Amino acid sequence: MTYTVALAQVNPACGDLEYNVKMHVAQVEQALEVGADLIVFPELSLTGYMLKDQTLDVMRPADCPEFTGLRELSRHIAICAGFVEQGTDGIPYNSAFFMDAGEVCHVHRKMYLPTHGMFEELKFFGRGGELSIFDTRFGRTGIVICRDLFHPLEVSTMAALGVELLLAPSAMPARGFGGEELAIEHTVGLALGSVSTFLGMFVVYVNRVGFDDGLGFYGGSALSDPVEGITVSAPRFEAVQLLGTVDTSHIARHRYQLPIRREEDLAIVRRALETRRNS
Amino acid sequence: MTVDALALNNALVEDYLKRFVQEELHTSGFTEACIALSGGLDSALVLKLAVDALGVGHVHTIFLPYKTSSPESRRDAHAMFEFCGIPWQELDISGMADEYLTLQPGIDRLRTGNLLARLRMAVIFDQSKKENALVVGTSNKSELLVGYSTWYGDMACAIMPIGDLYKTQVRSLARHLGLPQQVIAKPPSADLWAGQTDEGEIGVSYETLDQVLFLLVDQRCPAAEVISEGFDADLVHGVEDKIQSSQFKRTLPPIAKLSQRTVGIDFLYPRDWGK
Repeated sequence: MTYTVALAQVNPACGDLEYNVKMHVAQVEQALEVGADLIVFPELSLTGYMLKDQTLDVMRPADCPEFTGLRELSRHIAICAGFVEQGTDGIPYNSAFFMDAGEVCHVHRKMYLPTHGMFEELKFFGRGGELSIFDTRFGRTGIVICRDLFHPLEVSTMAALGVELLLAPSAMPARGFGGEELAIEHTVGLALGSVSTFLGMFVVYVNRVGFDDGLGFYGGSALSDPVEGITVSAPRFEAVQLLGTVDTSHIARHRYQLPIRREEDLAIVRRALETRRNS
Repeated sequence: MTVDALALNNALVEDYLKRFVQEELHTSGFTEACIALSGGLDSALVLKLAVDALGVGHVHTIFLPYKTSSPESRRDAHAMFEFCGIPWQELDISGMADEYLTLQPGIDRLRTGNLLARLRMAVIFDQSKKENALVVGTSNKSELLVGYSTWYGDMACAIMPIGDLYKTQVRSLARHLGLPQQVIAKPPSADLWAGQTDEGEIGVSYETLDQVLFLLVDQRCPAAEVISEGFDADLVHGVEDKIQSSQFKRTLPPIAKLSQRTVGIDFLYPRDWGK
């Protein structure tokens, strides 16, 4: 299977749902013009990141009227975008939806909400408690939002449960300006490399750009291929939309050569957890 | 010892800070910046970044001397106006300062220095209103951390592009941007009285101060660990004291909480709310 992914490295306006929806529609139309099958936006792309008390104002259920235009467009292209989800429990979640064929197929709630140093997500958001694994026309798909990607246990479990395509919408602030690349870029590179190389997943990492109150998001979105490595690499700091091709035809041969996924045995982990719990 | 971690990829920092200046202004609905130029390195660097970010026609800068300001300050401010291709702008604050100072016999030089810094603040904010501009601040991380700045004086501004760069990093970035050598090489001074230098007042070179600050603040090393790296114990404890005793300058004034939502405590919005 071969399909085209658009990586929408955008700069959302903080707290301005109306502007951001229009910007998303324009991005989706641009991706449609060049024949993309899937478009992925950054974390909280429909709302902006540094929302603080605006969280209450911009939270919406995934099937809200404001997103109707995007749902309609998803008849022609699958869309993954970030938003503040108003749960049926009334709690705001830092979520990403996956729309396809005119419907919201899946919503992932961010599991690991950084709340330390410059981050204060748990002050405003409820915590998601489920791994995101769902079947799409692209095969078994998963979503991790930003910090989720840095939790190998969860990402490994998703791979062990058959996820082939991992979508990683992010809002990673730039920091560590001492080297050829930013320190955070290096960290993300390690995660992308290990997820693709060892866990055999295609990763679509889409990070935003622009500033929210002094935090500058660095972009650097990437498509990471289990065999070819990083095949799409977006520039730092620039708002761009880039296209990448996912070609799964060589995956079986690669896995035959390096059968890590075939070897995977979650029972070992389960036994370890049970032993630990009972000890 | 030297801390290599203070070294920066200056090209990357330049790109990032220019975008910061651009976006922070534009998000707030402004295209113009206002900068008080002192003749020193910090304001020279901020001026260059702002000119490169916004275009020379969008940066309004002015030299605000007092009668005791050093001739070197005027010379170097002049060099920066020329370097950036901006016509000379000067407003002497001696008259307005002396009106008050003559009413304060025996005023010491610290009070005088603070007064001058606050008069410059009043002028630059008024100029910014005239130009429909935002005031771009010139404080660096070293002085913000040890409190070597005047509260509501030179610290007052809308954005601080170099507030997370230590002084030694400011020098390095200035070299990268090709600022006039005389501006980079001169001893840092607030120029609040004749012969004043930062390092004379703080009691240590910026090279050493920045390494101690980096270990204490960025690396969160306890003082004992910093001292074990070879830094003088009195210096390290002195720097710690300066950081703590100047904390009030880095926060908004506490508001007595009475209601469900209190400004500064739990009325939480980003600076560019609604922009």
